[in-house]
Amino acid sequence: MRLLIFEFVLFLFFISILAGIFGSVVGLGGGVVIIPVLTILLGVDIHFAIGASIVAIIGTSSGAASTYVRDKVTNLRVGMFLEVASTSGAIIGAAVAAYTNSVALELVFGLILLASLVPTVMKIGENIPESPELKGLAKRMGLTGSYVETGGSTVRYNADRPAEGLAGTLVAGMLSGLLGIGGGAFKVLSMDLAMKLPMKVSTTTSNFMIGVTAAASAGIYFARGDVDPLIVAPVALGILIGAAIGARLLLRSRNSSIRKAFAIVLAAAAIEMILSALGVAV
Amino acid sequence: MNLKDPETMNLVIGRELRYGVMVSAAVILVGTLGLVASSGSADTSNYLVYNAGSVPHDGVAVGAWSIIGGLASFSPTSWVELGVILLIATPVARVLISVLLFVAEKDRLYVLITVVVLSLLLFSMLVAPSIPGFHA
Repeated sequence: MRLLIFEFVLFLFFISILAGIFGSVVGLGGGVVIIPVLTILLGVDIHFAIGASIVAIIGTSSGAASTYVRDKVTNLRVGMFLEVASTSGAIIGAAVAAYTNSVALELVFGLILLASLVPTVMKIGENIPESPELKGLAKRMGLTGSYVETGGSTVRYNADRPAEGLAGTLVAGMLSGLLGIGGGAFKVLSMDLAMKLPMKVSTTTSNFMIGVTAAASAGIYFARGDVDPLIVAPVALGILIGAAIGARLLLRSRNSSIRKAFAIVLAAAAIEMILSALGVAV
Repeated sequence: MNLKDPETMNLVIGRELRYGVMVSAAVILVGTLGLVASSGSADTSNYLVYNAGSVPHDGVAVGAWSIIGGLASFSPTSWVELGVILLIATPVARVLISVLLFVAEKDRLYVLITVVVLSLLLFSMLVAPSIPGFHA
């Protein structure tokens, strides 16, 4: 599509507001929306699209986390504990990226994401998970917390199976380092399915972490010139507005509604990766 | 402010992120308005050329000195880039601040954890790009 600069900027700005709202609620960061809009609708090169997605993720993360952290929905200890795995994974992914086949990777991880829809959808009615006893590594690391629902009730929870959470987050980080995409979904799934945290805590803690994972690889994209100013300017501005709106929305929503939104975005992300692997320009 | 109070961490980190985001958004906004004012009615196709064979791929300055030069001469793209750098720096500063807050809380385990995260992050951002074979 041929556009004049002001049309391009305006269009991307409004799309990015939507991406910021979705990304901040489901904890994936908005790249899922930005990448196909740039590549399919606007015909932008995939490298520029990934560069813009990295900036979008950092913007959603910091923009929404400022609210989530203040209101204590994000579990800071869980986030920082898992960041050890996500940043290590990002470095491993970047180190081996040259020796891997990105098409095969996209196909495999797209299918894994698609498969993880099953347990996610099966838990769809759940509002507050049954909290396990705090023991072992989770107890030593203080992986417990509570947050206040808008109705005023306090939800207390303990993390289950932290080692599995670390392993899942390591995979999430590797995926970010390898492909520049897909990390957020694995982070939410690790906290939701393995660590059994309430959905709000899982998505907002993922949201908190994805900024650091994206920043870890931002340097290389920036230095290569993949972060194009004309693209990232409206994306960053729109994303930050969207993240502020999304953060307010999440705080007022029920865990079960957030899970539904997450399932939809998870399906979209999985299909995007699979289509991209199959050679459809996504 | 009582640094031993666990709520302090939420307050300080929340504020740091908010200020980081607001400052970078303001700088990016200046650059965006400049871009639209100077070349808003130009065709995008001349600006979005991806040169696979050259680095940087977009032909826009990415080095520190050329960005500083661009800021001085009010080049809109340099202002956008400064804003993006500030945005990228926001979560990095957040990790650094959490190290300091855990030191103040005397929580040795989490001082260690956040120091490891900060080291991995800085390694990945500053050292890894210059290692041949990374991100190829």
